[in-house]
Amino acid sequence: MNKAIIPIVARLQALQTASHVVSGRMRTIAEGSDRQPLAALLREVNETVLGRTLAFASGAGPQVTLEVAGRRVLRLVAAEGIAGADACLAAHTLDDGHKDDLIRILQAVTPRGHPVSVGSHPIGRGGDEVSVGLPVALLADLLLIDLDALPGSAGSTPASLPDNQALDMPLTGAMLQRFALQFGPSLMAWLIIGGDDDGAFAGPDEMVSHLGGFLDNEGAALSAQLDRLATHPGGAVSLMLGASLLEGHGTLCARQGGGLLLGLLEGETAQLLPRAWATALAKG
Amino acid sequence: MGVNETFAKVLSAFPQARLVAFADLATSMILASQGRDDFTQESLDRLVLQARTSFDDPLFSLSVEAFGEPHSAIVMEAAGIRVFLRSESEPADALCCICDHSIDLAAFLARIRDTLDQISSGG
Repeated sequence: MNKAIIPIVARLQALQTASHVVSGRMRTIAEGSDRQPLAALLREVNETVLGRTLAFASGAGPQVTLEVAGRRVLRLVAAEGIAGADACLAAHTLDDGHKDDLIRILQAVTPRGHPVSVGSHPIGRGGDEVSVGLPVALLADLLLIDLDALPGSAGSTPASLPDNQALDMPLTGAMLQRFALQFGPSLMAWLIIGGDDDGAFAGPDEMVSHLGGFLDNEGAALSAQLDRLATHPGGAVSLMLGASLLEGHGTLCARQGGGLLLGLLEGETAQLLPRAWATALAKG
Repeated sequence: MGVNETFAKVLSAFPQARLVAFADLATSMILASQGRDDFTQESLDRLVLQARTSFDDPLFSLSVEAFGEPHSAIVMEAAGIRVFLRSESEPADALCCICDHSIDLAAFLARIRDTLDQISSGG
């Protein structure tokens, strides 16, 4: 197929299949069986050129309302059933500093296994500020989502990730996996061995393979290192190392129960750490 | 300004910081400290050993291989956060800090990195 035709076919297919009106003039954009409901949400934003207010609702309960124009997310107007949305809600216009928070919010409203619907309404203000806001293409890049891929096709899921490890998965699972997912794309690659999340991973194959090899050889020594840091023997503990932890790269390991997480970080990760840890522990 | 006065200013700026201590990792000694609570000598000794452990193998080796020598470490537990910074110019010089989860960690790291640099440079 000519690559130029793919986005057109994707649009046509989206119009013919998943879309149907549900109560409250909402339209279903992803079914519960959809492998990547977040991609469906981003495509809705990507197809919105004129200013609109889009209200997205998950069958699981969370809802968000976004002001969108020019394939950009201008503003988060409302968020229900989603923790940690205050900074984005308070922002008059979203900018690059909000992208990590916004990604987590969009992930929270698109958990797997539940349908996602959208309602479109007139924008609450001019909607002509298309030079600001967060481009949906940027969000898609960070989430490794191909906006032009055919919905439901293999290309709509990051090729390097197995089906059950896409980056938009809900914050469920055991504590270590929830901890890892809280970092979003800042945790470039990670792997868990042992415990309830044994074998869970995400990231480029080469990096994950390297982490796996390291854990094979040094897993016992790494666990012993964490033992020496833990206040309570066997307690949940995490260690992050970096040049500065304010920028650049870092390594992350954590242990909880019988599980050991090892990952590679990039960017301003220090500010993500306390909330990621507290949230993961709180949901335990 | 003395070290203790410098630490007092850090604690004043970050109410979620419970302890700031300057350590010599080579001898495993805390040389100066300021805290909101009473920390026993045993707890300070344990803290400096944890700083050494943080910058130890095997995670240290993986970090060197991945991005170069690490100079910052954060240990998270349910009870709180421990932050350890090593001086880039004097590798035995380190700051050891205990904080609550609610601290603005990015701002705190930037502040204590400046503080460590000042101490190590004799400023």
